Amino acid sequence: MALMKIVEFPDPRLRTVAQPVTVFDAELAKLVADMFETMYEAPGIGLAATQVDVHRQLLVVDVSEDKNQPLVLVNPRVVERSGTQVCQEGCLSVPGIFADVERAERIRVEAQDAKGAAQVIEADGLLAVCIQHEMDHLAGKLFVDYLSPLKRELVRKKLAKQRRNAA
Amino acid sequence: MSATAADPGARLRAEAARALARIVFDGVSLRSAFDARAARNADPRDRALLSATLFESTRWWLRFDAALAGMLERPLPSKAREVRALLVLALVQVEVMAMPSYAVVAACVDAVRLLGQPGLAGLANAVLRRWLREREARLAALDADTTTQAAHPRWIVDALRADWPEAWRGMIEANNHAAALTLRVNRRRSTREALLERLVADGVGATAHGDLDDAIVLDASTDVSRLPGFAEGHFSVQDGAAQRVATLLGVADGQRVLDACAAPGGKTAHLLERASLEVVALDADAGRLPRLRENLARLGLSAQVRQGDAAAPAAWWDGRPFDRILVDAPCSATGIIRRQPDVKLHRRASDIRVLATTQRRLLDALWPLLVPGGRMLYTTCSVLRTENEAVVAGFAAAHADARTIALPDGLGEAAGGGRQNLPGSGGMDGFFYALVEKAH
Ligand SMILES: C[S@@+](CC[C@H](N)C(=O)[O-])C[C@H]1O[C@@H](n2cnc3c(N)ncnc32)[C@H](O)[C@@H]1O
Ligand SMILES: [Zn+2]
Repeated sequence: MALMKIVEFPDPRLRTVAQPVTVFDAELAKLVADMFETMYEAPGIGLAATQVDVHRQLLVVDVSEDKNQPLVLVNPRVVERSGTQVCQEGCLSVPGIFADVERAERIRVEAQDAKGAAQVIEADGLLAVCIQHEMDHLAGKLFVDYLSPLKRELVRKKLAKQRRNAA
Repeated sequence: MSATAADPGARLRAEAARALARIVFDGVSLRSAFDARAARNADPRDRALLSATLFESTRWWLRFDAALAGMLERPLPSKAREVRALLVLALVQVEVMAMPSYAVVAACVDAVRLLGQPGLAGLANAVLRRWLREREARLAALDADTTTQAAHPRWIVDALRADWPEAWRGMIEANNHAAALTLRVNRRRSTREALLERLVADGVGATAHGDLDDAIVLDASTDVSRLPGFAEGHFSVQDGAAQRVATLLGVADGQRVLDACAAPGGKTAHLLERASLEVVALDADAGRLPRLRENLARLGLSAQVRQGDAAAPAAWWDGRPFDRILVDAPCSATGIIRRQPDVKLHRRASDIRVLATTQRRLLDALWPLLVPGGRMLYTTCSVLRTENEAVVAGFAAAHADARTIALPDGLGEAAGGGRQNLPGSGGMDGFFYALVEKAH
C-alpha cells in the first residue's frame, strides 16, 4: 500500500470529469486500498479518485466513529433524493476551510463495488452528505462552488497564504 | 471530505480533552467535569465513551503524560494544554481502552483542529504515529519506575510503602482497576430477593453479596437512575465497605443518633432503613445538603438535617446527648482511588497532616455529646495510618473515659485500635473503622 498525493484547490485537475470504471482488476483493488490508506491518514471521511489525480468514477468513504465501516462506490448514481440538510463541510483538497453546504437529507445510490457487483445504498445524515460531496468531485465540482463568489475569493487567498506560510 | 465539526469521534474527543484539562490543570473534580459535559451528550453511547475516557485518562494520566513528554522535544506551551490532554487521552484510548489505533489517531488529529489549534495537527499526528512505532520500548521504559508504571504520584507510593510494607503493591494495583457497582436495598421499601428478581428480569446481571445483608453487586457498570425501582427509592448505590457502618454502629429503635459528617447521606439513610431512629444529620457544607435531602426524600426517610461545623457543637447542638455518633470524617480518599482516580492528581502530601488535625478535632469536640455507655464510630475512606489509627490513638490517650472496642477480623487488617479494609479486598473500597465506647 502507498499513500497518494492529494491534489489541492485551485488545481485545475480537480475540474476534470471522471470516466466510468470498466475494468475490475487487481490494479483497481490496489487503487482502492491506497485511497483508503490516504483517506484515513489525512484524516478524512471520504475521498474521490479525482482528488488523487485518477479520473475514474470511484470514491471511498467511512464516516464511522471507529473507522471500521469502509464503503467503496464505483460508478455511483443517485437515483432518489429527498429532504434537505445543512452540514459544515471540509475537503481534503481545500485544507483548513469549513463551510455550511445544503444537501439532500436522504439519498438512494446505485453503484458497483470494487469487484463490479451491483449495490444499492440508502444513506442519510453525514453519510449522505459525504457521498454527495465525493460525487461532486467526480463531476469536477467542489464544495466551495456553493459559496458566494466573494467568499470563494477569500478561500483562495486564505489557502495561498497557508501555502506561503508552510513553504 | 475531511472530518468536520460534524464528525462525532473528533467532536467527542475534543470535548473529553477540554474536560480532562479542567481536571488535570484546574483541580476540578472528575465528577463535576463529567457532569458539565454529560448534559450536552444525550446519546447514552457518547456519554458512556466520554465517561470511560475521562475515568481512564485521569487514572492513567501520570503514565501517559510522561509518555508524551518523552516524545516531545520541548513541552507544549500552556495555551496548548487541551492538546496535551487530548494526546494523553489518545494514548490511553489505544493502550488502556484497546480502541483501534487508526481510528483514535484520525479522530484526535481532527480534534486538534476543533480545539482551535490547527497548527498543532501535524505535531499531534507525528507524535501519535511515533508512539505506535515505538510503543514497546517506550512502555518498557515507563514500567521501570512505579510512579510511571502505575500512574501514582511519588508521595502516594512512598506513603503506601511506608504504611503497608507487605500490601502496598497490591493496593496500587487495586487502585488501577475500576470497581464494581454495589447497590444497597432499602429494606423499608423492598427486599433484596425482590429487587434481584426485578433486576434479572430487566436483563441486569446482579448477585447478592455474600457477607452483607443489604448489598447487591452488579456485573457491569450502568446508569443506575434507569434501573427499575430507583425513582421509587427501592435502592441506593453504596460500596460494601460503607454498608458495614450501620451494623457496626449497633443501632436500636428509639435511639438518638448523630451523623456528624452526613452529606450526601448514604450512611444516614442506611441507619434509618435499619432502625427507627431520631437522627440529626449534620454537614458543614451547605452546598451538599440538598443532595442529602433529596436522597432521604427518594428513599422515604426523615432526619433532622442541619448545616454546621461538627467541631463547634455550640452553634447547632440542643444539649440533648446522643446514644450513637457516627464520624464519617473528611479524609484523603486514598482508599477509593479506584472510584475517584482524581485523588491521585488533586491530593498533596501536605494535606494529610491538615486532615489528621481536623479529624482529631472532630472526635474531641463530639465526645462530650455522647451519653455514658454510648458509642462513637470513626470511619474514613483513607488507607493512611496518620489519618486513621494515629488519630484514634491520640484521641483515646487524651480521654480517660474512652475505650476502643475490638472489631471482628472480617473487617480487614488490624490497624491500631481499628480495622482497615484494603482497597479491593472483598471487592470493597479501602475503609477504616474504629469504635469507641464511653465509660458509665
Ligand atoms: C466522607 S464525606 C461523608 C459521606 C457521608 N457520610 C455518606 O455516607 O454519604 C465527609 C463529609 O464531611 C463534611 N465535613 C467536613 N468537615 C466538616 C465539619 N467540620 N463538620 C461537619 N461536616 C464536615 C464534608 O462536607 C463531607 O460531606
Ligand atoms: Zn472533497
